[in-house]
Amino acid sequence: MSTQHRAGGSKKRRTTLTLPVDSLTQAERIARARKVNLSTVISEAISEGLRLHAALERSEQVFSAYKNAFSGLTDDEMAILDGIILEPASRR
Amino acid sequence: MVDPGSGPFLFDTSAESWLARTRSNWLREYLSLHQLHISAITVLERSRGYSLLYSSAPENRKKKIEGMRVAWLSGLGRVWPLDGAVAVVAGEIMALLPDPPTPPRRSHQLAESRSERLSRWRFDGMIAATALVARLPLIHNNAADFEAIRSAIERSPGRFPDLGPLELIRCRLLRETVH
Repeated sequence: MSTQHRAGGSKKRRTTLTLPVDSLTQAERIARARKVNLSTVISEAISEGLRLHAALERSEQVFSAYKNAFSGLTDDEMAILDGIILEPASRR
Repeated sequence: MVDPGSGPFLFDTSAESWLARTRSNWLREYLSLHQLHISAITVLERSRGYSLLYSSAPENRKKKIEGMRVAWLSGLGRVWPLDGAVAVVAGEIMALLPDPPTPPRRSHQLAESRSERLSRWRFDGMIAATALVARLPLIHNNAADFEAIRSAIERSPGRFPDLGPLELIRCRLLRETVH
């Protein structure tokens, strides 16, 4: 492996990957159609995959946070959290 | 059935908590596609609620309540502000519908005061106004209040130029997407 610095771009590193033939063929076809090199297409695909993965991780964190935020409460306590403030009827 | 992909939606305060407590997978699917959009009014109602629960909780439960509050804040998505445009629309709604359409809530030996009911009604108007200004369908768990607001807006389109209709989705309809 070797690391390269490109002007105006992010740090890059050369590596060897083993890819499914179908995916590689499709990436080569896209590279030809867009007149860019294969590394660009593979890099963009990996970036998009990583972005989706990060979004999914974040959504699971949020889902878990929401479950924790409302667990183990009585109906009256939930009403208070929903903005419904109930008081003993005799106090009113 | 409401496709989570057809969002984003604005969530009313009670719809947000209802969804988090159901076994439906709808919220999980929705969150994989969109942020949860809420009004700043929901942040106000929820913060007040956690604070009231905390202050009335026994010492051994305060830490749990605070943990729940922090968990909720950590999951906050897009919070729509109560800005000038929302205030103008909310003012129109309050003028059209000064009184709540249903009486104060009761539960066993507990009851909501008239002033609390009026505050909650006005908050609902502000949330509906936020949905109109944001042009987002509103997911709610309070048909009586929000249907009244929707009808009033439809009867007075001139007071809401270039806005509306208020699109409402009852959160119980989302249960149909349980997997």
